[in-house]
Amino acid sequence: MTSVKLKSVKKSFGAVDIIKGIDLTIEDGEFCVFVGPSGCGKSTLLRIISGLEEATEGTIEIDGRDVTGEEPSKRGIAMVFQSYALYPHLTVRENVGFGLSLAKLPKDVIRQKVDAAAEALQLTHLLDRKPKALSGGQRQRVAIGRAMVRDPKVFLLDEPLSNLDAALRAQMRIELTDLHRKLGATMIYVTHDQVEAMTMADKIVVLNSGRIEQVGSPMDLYNNPVSPFVAGFIGSPKMNLYDGPVAAAQGCKTYGIRPEHVVLSATNGTWKGSVRHVEHLGADTVVYLVVPEMGEIVVRVSGDFKAAHGDILWASPVAGREFRFN
Amino acid sequence: MTSRQRNTGIIAFLAAFIIFILPFVFTFFMAVKSRQEAALFLFTWPSEWHFWSNLVEVVQARNYMLLLAYFNSTIITVGAVALLVIFGAMVGYVLQRRPSGWNKLIYAGVLMGLMVPPAVVPTIWVLQGLGLFKTIHGMILIQVAYGLAFSVLLYRSFIATIPRDLDEAAIIDGAKPWAIFFKVILPLLKPVTVTLILVQSIAIFNDFTNPLYYLPGRENVTVQLTLFNFQSQFQSQFNLLFMNILLVTIPPLIVFVIFNRQIVAGMTAGAVKG
Ligand SMILES: Nc1ncnc2c1ncn2[C@@H]1O[C@H](COP(=O)(O)OP(=O)(O)OP(=O)(O)O)[C@@H](O)[C@H]1O
Ligand SMILES: [Mg+2]
Repeated sequence: MTSVKLKSVKKSFGAVDIIKGIDLTIEDGEFCVFVGPSGCGKSTLLRIISGLEEATEGTIEIDGRDVTGEEPSKRGIAMVFQSYALYPHLTVRENVGFGLSLAKLPKDVIRQKVDAAAEALQLTHLLDRKPKALSGGQRQRVAIGRAMVRDPKVFLLDEPLSNLDAALRAQMRIELTDLHRKLGATMIYVTHDQVEAMTMADKIVVLNSGRIEQVGSPMDLYNNPVSPFVAGFIGSPKMNLYDGPVAAAQGCKTYGIRPEHVVLSATNGTWKGSVRHVEHLGADTVVYLVVPEMGEIVVRVSGDFKAAHGDILWASPVAGREFRFN
Repeated sequence: MTSRQRNTGIIAFLAAFIIFILPFVFTFFMAVKSRQEAALFLFTWPSEWHFWSNLVEVVQARNYMLLLAYFNSTIITVGAVALLVIFGAMVGYVLQRRPSGWNKLIYAGVLMGLMVPPAVVPTIWVLQGLGLFKTIHGMILIQVAYGLAFSVLLYRSFIATIPRDLDEAAIIDGAKPWAIFFKVILPLLKPVTVTLILVQSIAIFNDFTNPLYYLPGRENVTVQLTLFNFQSQFQSQFNLLFMNILLVTIPPLIVFVIFNRQIVAGMTAGAVKG
């Protein structure tokens, strides 16, 4: 039973409050993703859980045990850094086994564990290389291997894929999800990429300037965002959000409709506008429509929809898919 | 290669030859000449080669003083350089990694150590008070004190280029501060360490004035002082004096040849992305 519990955790650097009171429970074996814009305190929160940073207030429980004042190595956690942070002067084998050799485990035990981790991550043929002779994806896997051999109860990953190219990132997303399923360990994953959050998470925690905005499963957040912030953050392309008169006409403070929940018609509909720009993505087409009374509305339609710059089209929201925030 | 590049190359080579090689060749020729021929003080090819006999005579002079001097100089150099590396790296590490109120003060102290010239008489006074005057370990401490500021600054600026993530990864792996320093940081400092060893060991081995002030006494002689001591004795024997010079020049040369190739930067390549 390895749950992670944060109780009113706060953190200030000098006079600046970065984390402003976080209460959160992450269940055993869960894949929990922290998302939020840059600078909202995701890394700081993760570092507080790891023990690299001390919370100004509040307590952290791992596995039902209060670890607030505990050293990082005693918390049963392992961390994968965004920069990988491999030891440049050590080989892959020594990098992965570094923690074990510090713990003075017998040599053959270390060897066995490192070999097992290397096997699982397809690193066996690279064990005698130094990090500088590895590709980005391989370094990434070494960093994960170094975390794995410690048999942590909780994995902490800080934007581990952000230095990889798009194709490799998609592949590593699947590999990480597989790894999570295989190990069954609790994982806390920081990203600012909503695609990673949606595709990998059991639970997403949306952070906004040091506060939790919403917690829930990916589809939960997609279907029932509690605020325009969450609504705008989850889903791609972004939800269309309107304040002011447009929202007032709908009887709310902010009115939102997702691009995929708008239908286009050449003849009739709710809003009339002219096409500013069309993006053909293959399966989908994204249409940017300028409607005089509300500004721009982004619409996602199927790939075979024909539209060109300057066309006059009607857009209508799908009933029951509109969001009204107060 | 343009003619301009070639001309520059030739001029540079000639300048280096005149400044560095010619004196060495002259020293070598003088060192192998006979006593009479050396007394003429001419830059000529030796007519007779007395390399071995001159060598033996210099080494045996004054009851093997040269060997004792080698021994003393080696101890001083190795001891001082070892302490300079260890303490320089440690102080540099703490200064760079642990911001605290004391850091400014320590940093100011380090800068003073670099800028303020040491005063000889009060230093001797302090050494006498501590019972370190005329001792080899006192001399080692003097060399460490004189060189520490430089090595701290050198290490501090290099440590700033080592990503902090490495320290933190080691902390997560369960390393204590001691282990972080010795197992992660110190190995990465190799390029600086090699440079420091090279520069400081040559400087300390070649040091003349400090042993002259702080390490008087026959049994405390260092290699540079042998020249001074022999000068009166060898006044009419320039071949032996130059043989002595030759022997004193060789160890720094060896150090340079060994370590020169190892000054490699880029040890941190591959630590982080890229
Ligand atoms: N040691 C520190 N001292 C002062 N301020 C800090 C420190 N570390 C972080 N901050 C501040 O805390 C805020 C949150 O930083 P944090 O690294 O947690 O952001 P983040 O959500 O991880 O952003 P990103 O997505 O860019 O990584 C930032 O405004 C940052 O400037
Ligand atoms: Mg971050």
